[in-house]
Amino acid sequence: YRDLHTFELQAPTRLIEWARGNRVCVAGYGQSDGNEILQLIPPPTLLTKETQGLCPERDFKVECGGFSERPVYSLKYVPDTSLLVTSGPPDSSLQVWQVSAEDSDVIKSVSTIATENGTGQSWAKIATISARAPWVLHGSRLDRVQITEVESRKNVYTAASRGSEELSSLAFLDCNTLLLCCATGRLCLADIRQPQSLVEAMSVPSAPWSEQWCMGTRHGAQGLEPSSQPVARLSSRGLLTLTDLRKTSEFLALAKAKVPSPGSGAEFLCVSWAPVLEGYLAVSGFDGTVHVYDTQSWDSSGREAEPIFVHKGHTFGGAGGSRDPPLVTVHTWHLQKPRTLLSAGSDGSLHVWDWVQPCGKC
Amino acid sequence: MPEIKVTPLGAGQDVGRSCILVSIAGKNVMLDCGMHMGYNDDRRFPDFSYITQNGRLTDFLDCVIISHFHLDHCGALPYFSEMVGYDGPIYMTHPTKAICPILLEDYRKITVDKKGETNFFTSQMIKDCMKKVVAVHLHQTVQVDEELEIKAYYAGHVLGAAMFQIKVGCESVVYTGDYNMTPDRHLGAAWIDKCRPDLLITESTYATTIRDSKRCRERDFLKKVHETVERGGKVLIPVFALGRAQELCILLETFWERMNLKAPIYFSTGLTEKANHYYKLFITWTNQKIRKTFVQRNMFEFKHIKAFDRAFADNPGPMVVFATPGMLHAGQSLQIFRKWAGNEKNMVIMPGYCVQGTVGHKILSGQRKLEMEGRQILEVKMQVEYMSFSAHADAKGIMQLIRQAEPSNVLLVHGEAKKMEFLKQKIEQEF
Repeated sequence: YRDLHTFELQAPTRLIEWARGNRVCVAGYGQSDGNEILQLIPPPTLLTKETQGLCPERDFKVECGGFSERPVYSLKYVPDTSLLVTSGPPDSSLQVWQVSAEDSDVIKSVSTIATENGTGQSWAKIATISARAPWVLHGSRLDRVQITEVESRKNVYTAASRGSEELSSLAFLDCNTLLLCCATGRLCLADIRQPQSLVEAMSVPSAPWSEQWCMGTRHGAQGLEPSSQPVARLSSRGLLTLTDLRKTSEFLALAKAKVPSPGSGAEFLCVSWAPVLEGYLAVSGFDGTVHVYDTQSWDSSGREAEPIFVHKGHTFGGAGGSRDPPLVTVHTWHLQKPRTLLSAGSDGSLHVWDWVQPCGKC
Repeated sequence: MPEIKVTPLGAGQDVGRSCILVSIAGKNVMLDCGMHMGYNDDRRFPDFSYITQNGRLTDFLDCVIISHFHLDHCGALPYFSEMVGYDGPIYMTHPTKAICPILLEDYRKITVDKKGETNFFTSQMIKDCMKKVVAVHLHQTVQVDEELEIKAYYAGHVLGAAMFQIKVGCESVVYTGDYNMTPDRHLGAAWIDKCRPDLLITESTYATTIRDSKRCRERDFLKKVHETVERGGKVLIPVFALGRAQELCILLETFWERMNLKAPIYFSTGLTEKANHYYKLFITWTNQKIRKTFVQRNMFEFKHIKAFDRAFADNPGPMVVFATPGMLHAGQSLQIFRKWAGNEKNMVIMPGYCVQGTVGHKILSGQRKLEMEGRQILEVKMQVEYMSFSAHADAKGIMQLIRQAEPSNVLLVHGEAKKMEFLKQKIEQEF
């Protein structure tokens, strides 16, 4: 490591979202009432480009917080507004919140975006974009995908139905193109200007036992065509596929992450591309570690890949042997510092770490 | 609902100084009497005119309570008692009574001798002030008069720090001062019983911080020391003497042992004697671990840490030295600093806050050319680092304390009211 900071949140989080002004947001997902949504100001060590080491200000500061009655499983800021949207069980409705850090340090609940036949469904996955108006893309199943305008709560688009599989994540590729990933691994592209069409990408290799999939898309790369960035899909068995959306009939690459098998289920599966380092991605959710891989040497053989770096910090957390070791619930890359990541564990730990490139690779 | 009045004394929104007036059932108590470390003029003192308008302070106030020896809690005490005028009792714990005058004298020296200020208390005033102090033990009920009683509780944070319960009949207030709910290497965690005060007054400045783990800070500290020593440099750690120095010594000793390091570590002798003396006196104030080690051996019988001699500073090669005083404003630590400042291989690690005007403060602010006595310019090429190990309660800690004490009401003392709404709601929700 070049740097490692460990923090302890009062309650574990399964999301880490970046907000304007280098803020970071986390939220509790406990079953009982009183889950907190916290918008944090990272310590100055994280904000500066150069690592400072013994900096006097090393702590996160809670800038503002809110209380959610339901567990918060997903949270997205709505760009160009002071709003954010959350979702979580027991149904697929969304909660809209207002953040006004200058006036008060409370994140206020503003409204709810209900969904048709909302009850009985699992929680909605969400994505937001700064488009013509503040939109939120959401849905829990493939046949329930819609875009809602956040402030007016008006429905703007509903995707054509192509099955009722559960979704694991969705994303805006640009303001007209959506990417939907099902838990089965099925990947679909949709153009909102043509609501009836849904383009399918290559399915994932089928397996004798069921596995769950999630995806990671690369954003933040300036000036690059969003569709030119490969989409990564990760399975609960550790399989990783990379797909070029311009050529969806074949895999760009196929590899296996070096993770324990059988894994711990798919609840916290997370794969993400590095915003700065070309071709690097991170994987977590199998145990208390986060793996970093360099995909540039990968081919389509499905071979096991060797991680460039493994963050094991969360495994050393815990109060002792009697409890199960914590699982990493989520991780994210720092948007500017190339090798800095943040990761959270099911024991409430929050780590910020900066790894050193091993020798021989520059 | 009993009427309890709380008045923070001071200029404007103050996060830098503590001085609170509490009126409870006809009794008036002053909690802490701190100096604001950021100001150089009269704004650094609390504004006592609010109470003096009621007549003489000694008649108006029933007692003064000081929570711990940090200057932002006791720095204005001699000014208050000797220059403004107060002859009533001043309560504090035994360690606080022992350590306060040392810090006050240090502070006086810097302000008057170094900065040439005139409207400041004298050494004699500090002595006279301390004569009015009545030392208390933990959990001892002290009868101030027939109706007013106070009791001190362990607060952690620094040696001798206490939280105080003030009781008149069936009305009571608990004032926390600075406290910490997590034990560290040499101090335990704050603790209070279910005393159910009508009001709990707590500072909430740190309620919004999520602190990085001690392990990480220690790891970084050791890394810096190790790197410096490996390249042949010298590390100077100016310390006040108590508590933190202890922790850092234990930390280094363990590290040296584990890594089989050979570079010498020194502790200045004046420090050793004083520290040993205080530890013997106040052993009950430290935590279990220290008490166990103390029983087995002398506090400073470390394998790798030896007594320092002035001449060693000129020895070639790497070394680590702990020396007083803590802000590099005089004495041995300043002497060593002057010898080592010109070499970029060396490092100085400041383990705490430095008062404005001290060399410590200047170098932490980035100054690299210092004017010494006789107009000599000292160029500082050595690395300057800052490492704070002092701990305050965060939001989790405040909740824990509330759970322990079960107050009917909570007063959060903080600079900006609108930044406390979230914590307020959090407390209301849970209790």
